[in-house]
Parts: sequence; C-alpha cells; structure tokens
Amino acid sequence: MLEVRGDSAEAFEELMLRYQGRLVTVLEHLVGDRDQAEDLAQEVFMRVFRARKSYVPGAKFSTWLFTIANNVASNALRTRFRRREVGFRTPEGSGVGSPWDRVIQASSGQMPVRRMDKAEMRDMVRWALESLNERQRLAVLLSKFEGMSYADIAESMELSPQAVKSLLARARVNLREVLEPYLERGDRLAMGEEQKPSADDQ
Amino acid sequence: MAGEPISITPTDDPGKLEEQLVAYLDGELDDAQVRHVEALLATDPKVREQLTRLERTWSLLDRLDRFQVDETFTRSTIEMLAVAAEEEAERQRAEAPRRRRRRWLMGIASLFGAALAGFLAVAMLRPDPDRQLLEDLPLLEDFDELRQIDSVEFLQMLNQEKLFVKDAPDEG
Repeated sequence: MLEVRGDSAEAFEELMLRYQGRLVTVLEHLVGDRDQAEDLAQEVFMRVFRARKSYVPGAKFSTWLFTIANNVASNALRTRFRRREVGFRTPEGSGVGSPWDRVIQASSGQMPVRRMDKAEMRDMVRWALESLNERQRLAVLLSKFEGMSYADIAESMELSPQAVKSLLARARVNLREVLEPYLERGDRLAMGEEQKPSADDQ
Repeated sequence: MAGEPISITPTDDPGKLEEQLVAYLDGELDDAQVRHVEALLATDPKVREQLTRLERTWSLLDRLDRFQVDETFTRSTIEMLAVAAEEEAERQRAEAPRRRRRRWLMGIASLFGAALAGFLAVAMLRPDPDRQLLEDLPLLEDFDELRQIDSVEFLQMLNQEKLFVKDAPDEG
C-alpha cells in the first residue's frame, strides 16, 4: 500500500488481485446481488485509489478497505430502500417461503421428505443470513470470511469493540433461531423418526 | 476483551452469557473470562448445549459461496482507474498555472509587507530632530529671560512652583 501511495500502478494491481475476490464475496452477501456487488467493489477500489495519499503507514489495509466497503454498501442499500427496489435476488426456481419449505413442496406424496442437498443447505444458510439486519450481517461476514478480530471489525464499522461483541452475539443467536428448526427436522428425518405418509397409507 | 464481569451464570443474564459464549468461540476473552466460561461448561450441561448449538449454526456459514472474479472485472477496474489517474493528472496540470500565479502574488505581497514593516520600524526607532525642537520650543521662546538666571537649582525650584507653565489662552 505504501507503493500504491507512491503512485505505483503495479502495486495497485497486485493489491486488487489479492483482495477483489474477498471484497466481492462480502459485498455480494451484503447486498444480495452479484452484479451490484461487482459494481460496488469497483467503487471501493476507486475510492482507495483516490484516497491513497491519506493512507497511514502501519494501518491495516484490510481494515481500511472494509471500512470503505461498509460505507459504499450502506449507501447502496439506503438508495435501494428509498427506491423500494426488490431486496434480494431469490434463487433460481424458488417459490415462496424458506428453502426448506421449497424442499418439502418439491417432494412428491409417495416419497418421504429427503434430506436437503448441498445446494439447498447453502440456500437455507444464505436465506438465514439475509434475515439479519445490515449491521449484523456485515459483522458476521467480516468475522467469518475475513477472520477479523472484534477490534478490527469495530474499526471497519466505526463501532466500539463491545458493540461488536453484542452485535455478533445477537446475530449468531438469530442465525441459530432461524436455522435450528430446519436442522433438527433434518436430523429427525435422517434418523427415521419422521416420515411423510406415502400414497398407499392414504 | 478485558474488564467484563466474570460472575455470569445462566440465570443471571442469559443475553450476557450468550455474548460470553460467542466471544469464547471467537477467542476474544481474556484468560480470567476463559477460565470462568470453561468452569461453567464443565459443570452445567445446559451451557454446554448452548455452546454446541452456537458452534453448529456458525459452522453452517462455511456453506456460503466464496466468489472469485474473472479477468473482465480486473481489466475493467484497471481501465477505470487509469481514466481516473489521467483526469487527476489533467486537473493538476490545469491547476499548475493558477498555483504559480498564486505563488507569485503571495511572493509580491510578502515583499510589500516586509517593506512596510521595515519602514514603520525605522520610523519608530529613528530619532526625529524636528520632534526634539518641538519639545524644546517653550524653552526657546523664554530663552532670553532664562539666560539671566545663573543657577540650575534655582530654575528647578521655579519649575517645581509651576512658574513655567503657560497660562491657557483666554476662552472668553
């Protein structure tokens, strides 16, 4: 980053290559739209470039990067809310309700309800993440995907470490409350404790 | 995270306990707090169950996609930045004559300021021969009478009696 501060184009490109995937991942899970996430990521890199002279040597670049990302994403979500656009893109072929409900609906009356496959579980987790508010979601993403400490998350989100601690605790409790009923049901199905009645029984 | 109360039990404050459990899983507690949580885990199966449930749902987040971007993204971003860099350079080039003119004007103003300050300093410090004459004017006007008196002490005595103070002009 010091080389970038000194206007080195090669250094900036290297920085971009190192962080672009991670940045798009966090932004995509934050705003729920891949195309918008890429646009926002480009906006973040643009801001980093414009502010390069004000980078403080010794400061953690990732913290600074995600501080900017947080600001860019918040602005985008605020604009979207004002325009009352559709919030999150729903997975292909999805219907109403949670992904688990869709699994149940998709099953025929003759077959017991199957366990969710990987894609469905992924959709379920994504849906649970989307049920969090923006701040909880960002704190979870920075903690899980970036492995940031509470102090670094606090700096990125302009909160105190104690506020981050509370935020993450609430977020994880919320995730547990959303996911657990489906996990427990899945476990019961796997153990044969619960079966949808077959057509012969009816 | 130091300074937190460590005597939390499941019945005291469930919210605070959950915070401590999450921070424990994230490795964010200090040694004393870790010992307290681990003591709770050792003695209370409900707390152990709570921790397991938190851990389980947290690990589910590993199922989320991690995205990579392709060359198109990188190339288009670099192109945008190149345009921004060119615009910045153009702005600086356009600013340069204005900056030079501003620097020139500031230089001239500084010179004038220094000249003025110097003039005032010299004016205040240099003795004014005319001023001396003005101060001595009363003495010069009465010089012929004063020349008659030989003794300086007598003159000082007369001065103390305010005999040398001129009467104010008649206003009437």
